[in-house]
Order: sequence, then structure tokens, then C-alpha cells
Amino acid sequence: MTLHLSIVLWLPIAFGVLGLFAPPKLAGRVALAGATLVLGYAVLYVADFDMASGGLQYVTDETWIAELGIHYKLGLDGLNIVFVLLTAITWFAATLWANFSDFEKPRLFFFHLLIGETAVLGALLAQDLALFVLFFDLMLIPFFFLVGTWGGPARIAATTKMVIYTLVGSLLMLTAAVATGVLAANGAEASLSFAFSDLAQRPLGEGTQEWIFLFFAAAFLVKMPAFPLHGWMPDAYRQMPLPALAVFSAVLSKVAAYGFLRVCAPLFPHAMEKFQTLLLSIALASILYGSAMAFTTTQARLILGYSSVAQLGFIVMGIFALNEQGAQGAVLQSFNHGLVVAPAFFIVALLAERSGGSEDIRDMGGLAMRAPALAALFLIVAFATLAMPGSANFVGEFLILLGVFETKMVFSIVAFAGVVMASVYALRLYIRTMHNRTGPAVQSREISLRDGLVLVPLVLAIIAISLYPQFLLKRTERTITATPADAAANVDLDSGWTAYAPLQVPPPQEQDGP
Amino acid sequence: MNSLKLFAWLTLAFPLAGTIAVALIGPKLPGRGAGWLGTGALALSFASAIGALVKLQGLEHDQRQVVAVGWDYANTVGVDAQISLLVDPLSVFMILVVAGVSTLIHLYSVSYIGSDAGYVRFFAYLNFFVFSMLLLVLAGNFLLLIVGWAFVGAASYMLISFWYRRGTATNAGIKAFVINVLGDVGLVLGTYFIFKHVGTLDFLSTFESVQDDFARNDADLVAGCILLLVGAFAKSAQVPLHTWLPDAMEGPTPVSALIHAATMVTAGVYLIARMHPLFEQAPIAADVGAIIGCLTLLIAGTIAIAVTDLKRVIAYSTMSQIGYMVMAVSAGAYAAGLFHLITHAFFKALLFMAAGSVIAAMAGQQNLDRMGGFRKAMPFTFGCMVIGGLALAGVPPFSGFFSKDEILLLIGDRGGWYWILYVAGYVGAFLTGIYTFRMIFRAFFGEPVPEARELEEGHLHHAEVHSNPANGEVEDTDVGFPGPEHHIAEREPTMKIAMGSLALLAIVGGLLQIPKVTHVIDSFLEPTFEESALYHRELGDGLIAFGLVLGALVGIAGIAIAYFIWVKNPQIAVTVRQRLAPLHKLFVNKWYFDELIGLLIVRPMQWFGNWAQQTFERVVVNGLLVGGTTGVVRAGSSAVRAAQTGFLRYYAALIIVGIVAMTFYFLLAS
Amino acid sequence: MIELAVAKAPDIAWGPLSPLIAVLGGALIVLMLGLLRSRLARETLVPALSIASLAIAFGLGVWQWGERADVIAGALRVDELTLMLTFIFCIAGIATVLLSWRHTAPREAAHGEYYALVLTSIAGMIVLVAAQNLVTLFLGFELLSIPLYVLCATEMRRATSLESGLKYLIVGSVGSATLLYGLAFIYGATGSTDFAGIARVVSGGGDIVSDPLLLTGIALAIVGLAFKASTAPFHQWTPDVYEGAPTPVTAFMAVATKAAAFGVMLRLFDVALIGASLDWAPPLAVLAAITIIVGNVGALGQSSLKRLLAYSSVAQAGYMLAGVVVASRLGVQATVFYLAVYLVMNLAAFAVIVARERETPLGDDIDSLNGIGATRPLLAWPMTIAMLGLAGLPATAGFIGKFYLIDAAVTGDYAWLGVVIVVGSMISLAYYLKVIAAIWMRPAFEDTGDEGAVVLAPPGSGDQPALAGASEEATGLRAQGEVVFVAVLFGAATVVLGVVPSPLLNLVRDAGAALGLF
Repeated sequence: MTLHLSIVLWLPIAFGVLGLFAPPKLAGRVALAGATLVLGYAVLYVADFDMASGGLQYVTDETWIAELGIHYKLGLDGLNIVFVLLTAITWFAATLWANFSDFEKPRLFFFHLLIGETAVLGALLAQDLALFVLFFDLMLIPFFFLVGTWGGPARIAATTKMVIYTLVGSLLMLTAAVATGVLAANGAEASLSFAFSDLAQRPLGEGTQEWIFLFFAAAFLVKMPAFPLHGWMPDAYRQMPLPALAVFSAVLSKVAAYGFLRVCAPLFPHAMEKFQTLLLSIALASILYGSAMAFTTTQARLILGYSSVAQLGFIVMGIFALNEQGAQGAVLQSFNHGLVVAPAFFIVALLAERSGGSEDIRDMGGLAMRAPALAALFLIVAFATLAMPGSANFVGEFLILLGVFETKMVFSIVAFAGVVMASVYALRLYIRTMHNRTGPAVQSREISLRDGLVLVPLVLAIIAISLYPQFLLKRTERTITATPADAAANVDLDSGWTAYAPLQVPPPQEQDGP
Repeated sequence: MNSLKLFAWLTLAFPLAGTIAVALIGPKLPGRGAGWLGTGALALSFASAIGALVKLQGLEHDQRQVVAVGWDYANTVGVDAQISLLVDPLSVFMILVVAGVSTLIHLYSVSYIGSDAGYVRFFAYLNFFVFSMLLLVLAGNFLLLIVGWAFVGAASYMLISFWYRRGTATNAGIKAFVINVLGDVGLVLGTYFIFKHVGTLDFLSTFESVQDDFARNDADLVAGCILLLVGAFAKSAQVPLHTWLPDAMEGPTPVSALIHAATMVTAGVYLIARMHPLFEQAPIAADVGAIIGCLTLLIAGTIAIAVTDLKRVIAYSTMSQIGYMVMAVSAGAYAAGLFHLITHAFFKALLFMAAGSVIAAMAGQQNLDRMGGFRKAMPFTFGCMVIGGLALAGVPPFSGFFSKDEILLLIGDRGGWYWILYVAGYVGAFLTGIYTFRMIFRAFFGEPVPEARELEEGHLHHAEVHSNPANGEVEDTDVGFPGPEHHIAEREPTMKIAMGSLALLAIVGGLLQIPKVTHVIDSFLEPTFEESALYHRELGDGLIAFGLVLGALVGIAGIAIAYFIWVKNPQIAVTVRQRLAPLHKLFVNKWYFDELIGLLIVRPMQWFGNWAQQTFERVVVNGLLVGGTTGVVRAGSSAVRAAQTGFLRYYAALIIVGIVAMTFYFLLAS
Repeated sequence: MIELAVAKAPDIAWGPLSPLIAVLGGALIVLMLGLLRSRLARETLVPALSIASLAIAFGLGVWQWGERADVIAGALRVDELTLMLTFIFCIAGIATVLLSWRHTAPREAAHGEYYALVLTSIAGMIVLVAAQNLVTLFLGFELLSIPLYVLCATEMRRATSLESGLKYLIVGSVGSATLLYGLAFIYGATGSTDFAGIARVVSGGGDIVSDPLLLTGIALAIVGLAFKASTAPFHQWTPDVYEGAPTPVTAFMAVATKAAAFGVMLRLFDVALIGASLDWAPPLAVLAAITIIVGNVGALGQSSLKRLLAYSSVAQAGYMLAGVVVASRLGVQATVFYLAVYLVMNLAAFAVIVARERETPLGDDIDSLNGIGATRPLLAWPMTIAMLGLAGLPATAGFIGKFYLIDAAVTGDYAWLGVVIVVGSMISLAYYLKVIAAIWMRPAFEDTGDEGAVVLAPPGSGDQPALAGASEEATGLRAQGEVVFVAVLFGAATVVLGVVPSPLLNLVRDAGAALGLF
């Protein structure tokens, strides 16, 4: 099968450069073509994906920098295919949306947008720690420009804050990554290599694992962001141009979650266990704090922003349940949240259009009157946001909390407070904007065809995945449950993903009852 | 797929199709097309429910538990969640009630809601609700049950805040939704506790293995069952999670009739009955249910006597009646509880429809104090109201009499401390008689109010239409019944049909199950409760006779007192109120439950939110974490620049210091 | 008499020496030509010849690659390390000449002298990094320094230029003196001037490693070299001198001098004094940490690009010091590699500054970059890339360089130094991003051409006279092609080396192997 991963990885940037030389009017179209192709590829991968194997597929492995043991190694497995699909979908939607709204210097705008996509795809596909770190840091640069150039009034301060704040973690991660490679190589008296498959077979000492893990955790938690490291989020979210914000909130935070699963779980199992309680506590704090903020702030964007903090808290919980249910839930939930938050931000844009440009829910209200379709779409999104049973988000939360329930019952029970709060802030957002008396500045009108073109497919996707979450679950299952034995049986020893099998409590076989 | 399963799927499919059809093509249909479309969909659904019934009865007695699997929902890592329906007598019984009553109420709404701006939306929601409710009762595993459970809550939310321009309505909506989510959470956690041991979500396999996996009153099982009860209480408005139900009366009256009387609120009863194998293994939890039900029926009864809002009176009576059912199914009187569920569905829906008709005649006015003397003006409504009232008060031979008394008989039969419940049940029945007829007398007897007079002269009173001062849009911001024109049963054939048939059922419904005479329900439900120890019990004739007589007397006594107080000499009511001022205050303020919850939950939450928003975010997150670090760096930079004077002598000094320090280090190091 | 005649001169291998000779010869020729009357000769031929001689030196270096030779009785050692650094010097020199061409400085200090000085200084550097004994070391050190003192002051009409020259002279002399002391002590302790001998003694064990004489010597040597490498706390001349000096000279100092300083450090510490590494490594590590912090923190508040880059160069020196500290071949390679990428990144940045000095009356103020993202993409992109590279962000050579340094640090059990490096990079983002923000996110600077704008211009902008009194030319004035060319070339190089670093890494590996002591 010649679905070469390098193609999908470099497609966006190629089209971005192409767009730089296209006439400004067509730049958007070119970018859209690129995003569409990527989406097409992602769908092909999902269709062609071999669910029976828990290992890597479509592997590309070249030595990039021999002296530093860095490989240009890409691969898909059950873990990242979900994220790749999410990336492709949301970026397509964002590019389409951006096509309908006009930005100055469009060529540069789409250029940066697509660089962002390549960077994200790179971080997701990378099967080499150094490569992962490289792309992970690279993700930020285009968004620095997107915010700083096309953002709101206070954009420069916001974007600088965002980049420095989030790079604090990432650069620490750089050191940690190098240390991982070097120390692992020393430990195994082998030549330096950063490929996950090699690292997975060169276990680090426990003490080493711990400080390295903490560096990685810092990077990922800041990027998510998790409480209390979310200081950059409000400013950045307020200033970010919407298409960028949609993908940023939908995907970039998930890459951090993915990092935990891809890097920390297989490489630092001891540290994962050791710091389980700490991370669960952070996750819980994020859930409660994010929800509390979400139902007190009046900025529509920030409501979604803080709700993301809470949702990411759930995802982290799932990861640190350290069992299969938790991991499955975390992956599924990452996809769901991304799929839900992107249209939510687009809807916020529509609301702002209709309420005299203000994104303060106190200036909104009564929009449902003349816009039944918008109301219906928004209602579905809102229900999905609060993870109503019947939505795939609920399945995700169900699995996550079940996983946590089996390991650390108390955390799971307290976390349910977050579920209740979610219903409060999601409905609050919906009611204050769509219902109640029509605000003085509000001009209620139905969504245009173009808006529908972006929103309806996304909402349909939400409904589809809600009807059949198994579609994703069965693709991730083998990778999640891959045991060392499976990995060994695997032709190439590439499923570096062997973290959970040892940690299962209790293993499912026992669970299934007599 | 055998035809029984097919019928089950169809029963589900029609309302869903109805929702989509109404939503998409409804707006284009002329006149009341959308309403008829919705009603048609439900009629078909009801038909297929009957089909399911026939097929089910066609099966062997011990094979009447069929699981219809649709597809894998989340079947992974040991969690076996499928889209699967459990078709057994209990679920078929429920879909018959739900689909049947819903069809009638749709019929009623076709004209009742006729002039509302949201006509199409109303029927889309209503169909969606029915779909959710059917999903709830047909669900074959915990996950799907939770899904139906939540969908029902969502539908109820959408319909409560149907007139969304009205702040009170949206608040009531969010209140109902949040409390229902609380219930969902209870349900999910309960599921976890049970799943932890049985390792499956499927109902039948859970029930089979419950005996082996749990010791009697196993801690986890009790915890699980109590959490399930939380779900049940939230949905069925049992104390202390009932506060949303009275507020839910903000919704259109047909909604109150369908959701907040006949179907949704009885979900809790269904849940307990469905989970009976678990509860019988955890009697402690079951007793908790019984006690809460008993408390609810008393508290609600007392409140119902004091409130003056017509619909709220009926709402509290609903709470009270569901208290009976919860008490029944928790105490093992499953058939009786479900029997009361069906009769209650008939007469309570009827009462609400009648009340709706009156409210229409009052042009949206719901206050009993403003009503009176509608007897002549609305004979049909009056008749229906009385029939419903008699059934509710449990006067023979109306349906309520048999169902309620069977519950009490079985509970009395349990003996032991259940006698307390038994007595409380009769006290409740007495209260029921009083408040029911207080309502009827105050609305239909006494001096006719202007609206009644107007109506007698053949003209239906209409209130003026409100509009938003900001932009002059026509709005529905006033409590009650908006819209330019109203519709009453006397003038609308569809309403007449719906109410008439329900009245008929309310009268004869009781004949299904007369002690010693008929046991239609008992024998029909038997397969579901086959293995239940409590199900098969024989009552002593003495107890039966005593109970029936007592029940009849209590009900009639209540009515008599109501007549004496509110018709004969109304000033008694005033004097009583003054005598028992504190008590009356307690009842009028609904035992201060709202205040309590506000104090314990809502306020702390808001406080936490505001604290996070105004204090923590500013001081710690932005101040300490962001400001602190940048502050340190800034300080450093200004220090460095301060040292950078540009004067060589300073540099020289620093150089000397540097050299000396360096040299010293080395010398010391040696 | 006869006896004297037969006194044998040391036989000299001309091949290995040829690059040095090319440069020195170039210097002489240029100096002579500078005396010619014709404008053409002075303003075109002279720079051209300088470039030619540097190019020749480069070529000869390539020719000599792979041959390791001790020349002049082992006074100099021409190996891959020497040649690698020679390449760096030549490239820096060529760039400097290109930037200086048509600049004020050469015109004011008659062209011949100017370019001759540049070439001489380069010759000094080559000697320095090739030095095999303490004497040649000091020789090279002075040969490199003295021309620079003069170069700084070449814009004689500008006070700040003279001031910077003077400052550099004084502070530099102190540095040289300290170094000389240090070398003397070392000689005294080890009784040998050539590195091999010193190494033999020091590694010979015994209590020599704790001999106060030697230690004092090392201490003073460190200080002396720290001056040239401008590592804290001996960096303070750097901002003043960098700001005052003519921008091309600043660029030259920033990249070439630093390379030379680190080259000799590698030779001295990682070869001669390797045996005493336990003595000098810890204080050097501390110096590195201080330097990183001071440099990055100091750069924060700066509005003058040259000052900003001065501090940044201090910080970068700290990074590279980490490579010296670990005293391992990996460390040497990392340092040399970083020197190379540091060269390309800084040259790109300085070229842009020169360009903007000529295009706006704002001199090297950061505002001079406002909005050039829209107006001058050919300058905007190189500057952006350079800044990202210096900040060590991925897809640039800077990222690989940092990666390599951290790799070396961790391998040498200096993981904490690796952490300091990234902490420094975090702080550095604040000012690098400020520059990028100015380029892309601020409204373009429009030169109204009125005297106001020109008067407002700070004295730092060395090209007022260059306008030949025609201030209306200020408007729409475009920097000369060669400047833009330098910017674009090195900007591109930064990205290319970030994506395909392997060729450079191979050179560096040989350079590291050349030390061949590990």
C-alpha cells in the first residue's frame, strides 16, 4: 500500500508555499485544496488501517542526523490515527471558514495556517523522540504569527505571552528528550538513538525516569493548558483569529494529551505510576476550576476556553487511570472534544456577528427567534459539549471515569461534580445567547449558506460518531491493549506502545465475570 | 430479525422519524399539518407497540424476554455496550402506556397549542421526547438506559423552556436539566459499582449473575442501588430532588400532562421495577426507596393543599402519587405499582388537560384565587375534571381506587415496620381527597368570575399580546399561556376526543385488576418478575376487605371535608389558615426545600466560581505564576543594565573583583 | 661567524601555512593598493582583492583538509580544527567586506588600511587557533586584537565610534595582560611552553594539579580568554563596543572574534590542561551559567539592535562554554558546530541591520524594522529566521546547535547546564520575539523625508554622511544589493543547516577528531 506518510505530512506546507506565489485572491482556494487533500488522505488511512495489528503501519524510517541518532521516522498506529483524522477534519473546516472571511495579507495567513497543520501532523506521526520534540515546538511558531498579525487589539502582548509560556515547557522537554536518548543509550551501551522503538527497549533508571517525566509533564500540561498553568490561555484565546483558534483549541491541546500516551506511558512507566496521584489531582483541579471559571465568565470564547481546560482535565484523568478503559476513553474523548469545540468557536463567531460584534453573553440573547437552524445546530453542539449521554463525548467520559473508578475511586466520584457543572455552563452559554429576551443590539438572523457549509458537516460528524463510537474504539483498541508479548510477536518491534498491559487493574479477562 | 424485534424497533423508529420529519418539512406544511404529522407518527408507534404486545403474548411463557441487538456501541476493553433492546412484558407494558397516552396528548395539542408561534418546534420536541422515553423503557443495557434517561431529561428541558423568552421558563428549564443530570450521574456511578463486580452492562446477564457476584446487602451493591435510586428520585421528583417539578409547570399544559404526569416522571418507578433483582439482593436500598416514597407522598400532599396555582396543585399531587408508586415497587409490590402507574397516567393526564382547558378560558391565568364558577361555562371540562378528581381521590369504582388500594394492601401485607408506610399511605389518600376537590371546587363552584361569565355569553376571553420594548417583537414573556388566541375543550373536537377517551379509561381502568376478580397485569408481567420472591404473594381476604372499605371511606371523607370548607362556608378556610399559620407558612413555602438546596449547593458553587474568577485567577494564576516569573526576570534585567554604566572605572572594578574571585576559587579549590 | 651562518632556520612546510600566507599577503597588497589615487582602485579593487585573498585562503584550506601538520617547529598546528575555524574566519571576513563596501567606515579610514586591518586580524585569528605553544598563542591573540581596536574607531567623525575603540583598547589590554600573566604562571608551574609538554606534565599526575602556581595561572588565563569570548562577568565592554563600532565591524567581532576565542579555549583547556579538567571545569560551568543568565536578562530591555545582539552574543558565548566545560570530543564538536551556525545566524541579522541603517534615519533602533514584513520581505525573512535560529527554535540551525550542546552537556554529566541553557533560551524568546513582532506586526515606518525624521535619528546611525548631504534621497532609499545578498544568503543557510545539518556535522566530526586526545 503506497499511502506514504511523508506525502500527507508535507502536503500542507507545500500548498502553503504554493499559495505564497498565487494571487492573493486565490491563496485561500489553494490552501483549501491542500487541506482537502490531507483530509482525503486521512480518510484513506482510516479506511485502509489494519485493525488487527497493534503495531505501526505505513512506517517510514530514514536516518536524518546520524551524529545525533535522530531518525526521520513516521508511522501510524491505533493511537495517532484518531488524532490525525481529527487534525485533518478541523483544519479543513478552519480553512474553509477562513476562505469565507477575508483577512488582510491572505497569502501569509494561509501559509502560517498550513505550516501549523504540517507541524501538528509531524508531532503526531513522529516515531522518533527528537523528531516529536522538533515538531511539537514548531507547532507554536505559525500560531505566534497568526495571533500576532491577525489577532485582536492586544495581540502582540498576548502572542508573546503565549509563546514564551508554552515554550517554557517545550524547551524543558528538549532537555528531557536529549537526556532520555543519551542516558538510555549509555544504559544499554548502545549507539545514540531517539527512535521510540529503540528507547522502549532501553529502560531508564527509576530516578532518571522521574525528573525526565516531570519535564515532559510540564510541557504537556502547559500546552493543554491544565490548572494552574493556564495563565496564557485567556489572553491568547481573546486575541486569536477564529479559524486559528478553532484548530488551536481543537487539536494543539490534544497533541499534548497524545504526548503523554506516546512518550511518557511507554518510556517512563515507573514515573507514570509514581506520579499517578499527582497528575490525577492536577486533572481534578483542572476539571473543577475550569468548570467554575466557565460558569462565571461572561466572554463566550472564554467559556469555551475554560470548558476545554475542564475537558482536558478529564482526558488527563483517563490517561492516568493507567488502565485500558482510561486510555481508550482518553483517546476517544480527545477526538470528541476537538470535533465539538471547533464548531462551537465558529458558532461564537456567528453569535458575535449578530450581537453587534460583542462576544459578551450579557449583550446577547433571544437569537433563536429568527434562526431556528442555528439554534438547532448550537443545541446539538452544546449537548455534546456537556457530554450528554448519547453523545460520543459521554462514551469517552464513561470510559475515562470507569477507568479511574477502578484504580482511584475517589477521584472518579469527585470528578462527576465536573460533569454536573458542565451541564450548567454549557446550558448557560446556550440560554444566555439563544434564549431569553432579545438583547437591544441583537440582530437575529439565520445562518448563511456558507456558514452552514462549515457547520453542518461538523455537526453531522458529531452525530455520526455519537451513533457509532465503536468506529474509533475498535481502531484504537489493539494498540491500547498491546502487551509486550504482542509487540514481540509483531513483525517489526515498532509498537512502542506497551505501557498499559503491565499496569492493568484488573485485567479485562477477570472482569468479564463467570 | 423476528417480527417481535421488528415491532420493537418500529416503535422506536416512528417517533424519531416523526421528529426529523416535523423539523424538516413541518414548517412548509399548511395549517396544523405539523401537528397531525407528529400525531400520526405516534399513532403508528402505538400500533407497532400493540403489534409487539401480540407477538410477545404469542411466545412461550418462559421465552418472553427477548434481546434485540442493533450494533456495537462501545464494545471494547471489557466494556460491552451495545445498542440492544430488551423486549419483555415490563418494557412492552411501558411502551403501550407511553405510546398510547402520548398519542392522545398529541391529539389534544394539535388544537390546544394551535395558535402558538412555536407550533412546529413543539411537535418536533414532543416526538423527540416520546422517542427518548421509549428508548429508556426499551433499553437492554445500562449504557443505553442512561442514554434514554438523559435524552428524556433533555426533551423535558427543551419543553419546559419552550417559551424561551420568559426568564422564569429558562430558569425552570436549566433547574430541571441540572437536577436530572444529577440523576444521570447517580445512575452512572451506580452502574460503575455494579459493573465492577458483574463485569457486564447487559441487563439480563447482570440479573443472572447478581446472585453469585453479590452477597446479600453487599456494600458495593447497596451503594450502587442507592445511587440508582438517586437517578430515580431525580427523574421522579422524589424528595429532596423534586424541586424542579413544580417549576416545570412553566411549560405548556400538554407537556405537563405528558411528561410531568403520565410518562417521564414515572421513569423512576420503571427503573426500580426493572432493577428488582438487584434491589431484592440489597433490601437496605429497597427500604430507602420505600421510605423516601412515603415521605414524598406526605410532603407533596401537604403542599398541594396550600398552593394556589392550578397546575402546581396537580404537579404536587403527581409527586405524591409517584411517591405511592416508588413506595410500592421498592417494597416489592411491583405489579401494584405499575398498575397505579397506568391508571395514574390516565387520570392525571386527564386532569391536566382539563386544567389546560380552564387556563385557556382564563387566557393564561393559572391562579386559583382568580378562578371560580366555571361549572356552567365549561360543562365538558368540568365533567372530565370531576372524573379525574374522583379517580385521583380513590373513590370506587374509579381506576385510582383499585390501584392505590392494591399498593397499600400489599405493603400492609409485608407487616413489620411497613405498617408505618401503610398508615402513612392512607393519610396521604385522605390529603389527596382534600386537595383534589379543593382545586375542583375553587375552580368550578362559587361565584363565576368575569371570564366565566364572558364564556357563558359565548365569547372566549383573550389577553393582550406582550411585546419586547427593546425591538417591539411579539413575545411570550408572561406566565401561563401566550399567543393571540386560546382553545378550550368545549370548542375543539380533537381535545374533546382526547379527554373523552382518557376519561373513559380513568373510569374503567381499574377493572384490569380487581382483587380476587381479575389479574390482567399480574399475569401479564409475571415473566419479568418470575424469579422474584416478593412477586407472588397471596393476600388474606380480611385484609383485602378492610383495606378496600378503608380506602373508599378515606377518599370520600377527604372530599367531604373539602366540600365543607371550600363550598359550604369558605371563611373556615381563612380561619384555619390563621389558626395554623406556621404550618400553612411551611406548606406555602414548600417546606423550604428550594431555600435549603440553594444554601447547601447553589450558593457555595457560585461563591467558588466567583472566588476563582475574581480572586484566584488574578492573584495566583496571573499574579504569582505569570507576574512573579516575569517580575524576577525584569528585576534581573534592570540590575544588569544598572551595572552597565558605560564608565570604564566601574568595569575595571568589576574586572578586579572577577579576577580576584576566580583566583581565590582556584586557590581554595586546591 | 660561519657558525652563525649555519644556524639552521626551521624548515617550514609551506602547504599547511598557505591559508595564513594568503591572508597576510592579501593584507599587504590591499594596503599598498589603498595608496593609489584612483577612486576605482580604492573603492572597488581593494574590497575585491580582500575578498579574493580570503576566498583563496578558503580554497587552500579545502586543499589542506585532512592533512594534519605541525609547522614552524611545532609552533602552529594546522589540522581540521584550525581549518574549520579558518573557514569560519574567511566567511566572516568576506561577509564583513561585503557589508563594509560602500559603507562610511572604510571611506573615513582610507580603504586600504581598513581592509588590511580586517585581513590582519583574521591572520591573527588563524595563528591563535593554530597555536601550539603559549608564545604563539599570545602572539595570535595580540595580532587579532590590535587591528580590532583600530577598526572600532574607524568612523572618526562619530564620537561613539572613537569611544568604543578606546574602551575596547583599554579593556582588551587588561584582558591581554591578565592572559599573559596566566600563561606565565602556567609556564612557571609546568616548565614548558608548548601544549604537548604542558599536557604531559599536567596529565602526568602527581600533585601538580593542586599546585597554586598552575591554578592561579589557569584562573588568569580563563579570565583573559573570557574577555575575548565576552563571557560574564567580563562581558561589560561588549554592549558599549558593539554599539559604538561601525556595524560591519561589530558583525565581524561578534562572529569571528568569538570563534577565535573559543578555538583557543578548546586548544588550551581540552588539550593542554585536560589533565586538570577537574580544576577548571566546575568554575567554567559556573561562568557559563552566569553568562547565559546575564546575557539573556540583559538583552531584555534593549531598544538598540546592536546592543541587543551584543547581549545575545554574550548569552550564546555561555551556551558554547558548556561545550568546552564537558571536556569531551562531543563537547568540542558541539562547540565548533555551534560556532558555525552562530556565524550564519548573526551575519544574517547584522546584514539586515546594516541595510536598515542605510534605509531609515533610525539607525539600529528596533523601530527601524517596523513593518518591513510587508515592505521589504527580502530583509524581513532573513531577520526573522535569524532570530528564530538564535532562539533555538526548530527547523533552524540554532535548534540543532542547541540540541548538540545539550547532548554534549548531558553526556558529560552536566545535565543541569543543559537545563540552564534552555532556561536561557526561554528568557531569550522575549527579546527575539520582540524583534519579529516589530517586523511583522507593527505598522511600517514611513520616512516622511522631512528634516524632523533625520534629526530625530540617533547618532548611532553611521550613514548620515553617506547620504552625501542629499537628505531627500533618504526617502525610498534602498540598501545596496550586496547587503541584501548577504542577508538572504545567510538567512537561507540558517534554514538549510537546520534541515540538512549532516555535511556540517561531518566537518565538525573531523575537527573534533583532530584534537585526538580523548
